[in-house]
Amino acid sequence: MSPVALAGVPALAAKDKKPDQKKPTAASGGPKLEVLNPRGLPPPITLIPMAKRLDTLDGKTVYLVSDGFPGADAFLNQMSIWFKKNMPSVTTVYRLKAGGFADDDPKLNTEIKEKGQAVIMAIGH
Amino acid sequence: MGIPSVPLVTKAFKDLALLNAAKRGMPHERICFTPHPVWGKTAEEVRAYVDGPDPVSGKPLMKEVVDGLTVPLSDDEKKSGSVSVSIGPDTFTDTADNLQEFYLNNGYTDFLPIIIPTEEKVEAMMKATSHKPDEKVGEMAAGAYPRWSYNARQVAVNAVMAGCKPEYFPIILAIASSGVASLFSSTNSFAFAMIINGPIRDKLEFNYGIGALGPFAQPNATIGRAWTILSKNLGNGGIPGDTYLGSLGNNLNYNNVVIAEHEDASPWPPFHVQRGFKKAENVVSLFRGLGVVPGQVARGSSANENVQFDYQMSDLFSTFTGFFGALIIADPLVAARLKEQGYDTKEKLFAWLHKNTTQTVKDYKSRNYAYLFDYPRALRGDEPWASWYKMPDDAVIPHFPHVSDFNIVVAGGQTNAYPQAGNLSYGVSVSIDKWA
Repeated sequence: MSPVALAGVPALAAKDKKPDQKKPTAASGGPKLEVLNPRGLPPPITLIPMAKRLDTLDGKTVYLVSDGFPGADAFLNQMSIWFKKNMPSVTTVYRLKAGGFADDDPKLNTEIKEKGQAVIMAIGH
Repeated sequence: MGIPSVPLVTKAFKDLALLNAAKRGMPHERICFTPHPVWGKTAEEVRAYVDGPDPVSGKPLMKEVVDGLTVPLSDDEKKSGSVSVSIGPDTFTDTADNLQEFYLNNGYTDFLPIIIPTEEKVEAMMKATSHKPDEKVGEMAAGAYPRWSYNARQVAVNAVMAGCKPEYFPIILAIASSGVASLFSSTNSFAFAMIINGPIRDKLEFNYGIGALGPFAQPNATIGRAWTILSKNLGNGGIPGDTYLGSLGNNLNYNNVVIAEHEDASPWPPFHVQRGFKKAENVVSLFRGLGVVPGQVARGSSANENVQFDYQMSDLFSTFTGFFGALIIADPLVAARLKEQGYDTKEKLFAWLHKNTTQTVKDYKSRNYAYLFDYPRALRGDEPWASWYKMPDDAVIPHFPHVSDFNIVVAGGQTNAYPQAGNLSYGVSVSIDKWA
């Protein structure tokens, strides 16, 4: 079964097809052969419970974190402006994550845990 | 972290984001989407994106963001546990023509005809190695994805499909053991290359003479092809929109750049000896980057009795991204001329190129890759980027961060003194003999 379907995203299961879902379009003669599946072994999926949500953003500090892709900083700047105008009790803090785009930034994680209550992470392009 | 979060992703990466979240155990992650691209847009355009709808759900974007952080979790979102994943049955049965179509339709090929991997052919492949069929060979992913694992028999299936002879199999196993996929998720459309060194070049009749990089010998053609096919099947790479995002793609991905070094025609030690192997050892060395360009485009490369290949290379490399390295693929005539110029060691050449291929800090900072990849490393304190970002705009710095970013390999038929050059970084060298 598709890993996506198993993990509970049926709408996307079609993107990750089982090998027997597409049949040849034209039959042909000749003897039948037994052949081998060329696929490797995917790791099992470990489901991660999501973090408890906040009751409200009022009075909270939201970190706006860019992963460094171009445009993420400009986008998050406009989000900060939106919060000031529409939810002025929310404090926003912008940070560019250090390291490669897929790397963790332990220092920033520690800072967010100490000073923030929520994160919006922008993966630009 | 235990802190509620909402990722924002541009619409072009919808499938990638949703699929990767599911594969990493958060199938219901509250991902919000913006129009694509956000890069290069004016402040007014970006503000309109923020004020407008999520292009995937059609709902107001900021309401989705706020809801994503505040609406209580559903039972599905709180789930933990482990889910195993199947890749289907071990075997398929049908006629040869139907199987050919079946493999193609399921994305198991490079969309060229394959050799159908029957048990008999896979057994023949396995006879070329002393390793057991169920021995784990490695793990692979085509980017920041969960890594798939595979055994020797699964590698053999892919080697058969690519048209490899059994005697090529130790090379395929060595490549597979590296865990380096030749298809990578990046939007940059990466290219990959390998250098083959050692007596195996002659034993298997690799072409390293005239047309060394062309389609003129079976090992050059099929071993490179096998790397791509196994990257798809064993590493789950090359699924457009999911594990492959290269905007244009790269024609070199069909069989990669396979370079058997013309060791006897080189004035320097062969590549694998530089990497600590003995000359008699058989080794495959892997590279990753953006592609290969001809040296003839460099300034000063017209007919000349004293062509300065060092200046030509420097000129060419100044157009490369410094994020990847520079691999010179030198015809033996080019290599001989470089030695005549005084580069009796490769290290002298690399030192000259590093010193003389330069840029201003201002030009450097204006490059996309500098902001995207180097600036975050500078923030972390990594050198030389941390120092470069503290220098004035008119300071002159090397185009490539390290001398070790340069490499050279000798191949070609000596019909003319032309080099080619890859914007390619060295990755790893693997013993082929260990997999015999």
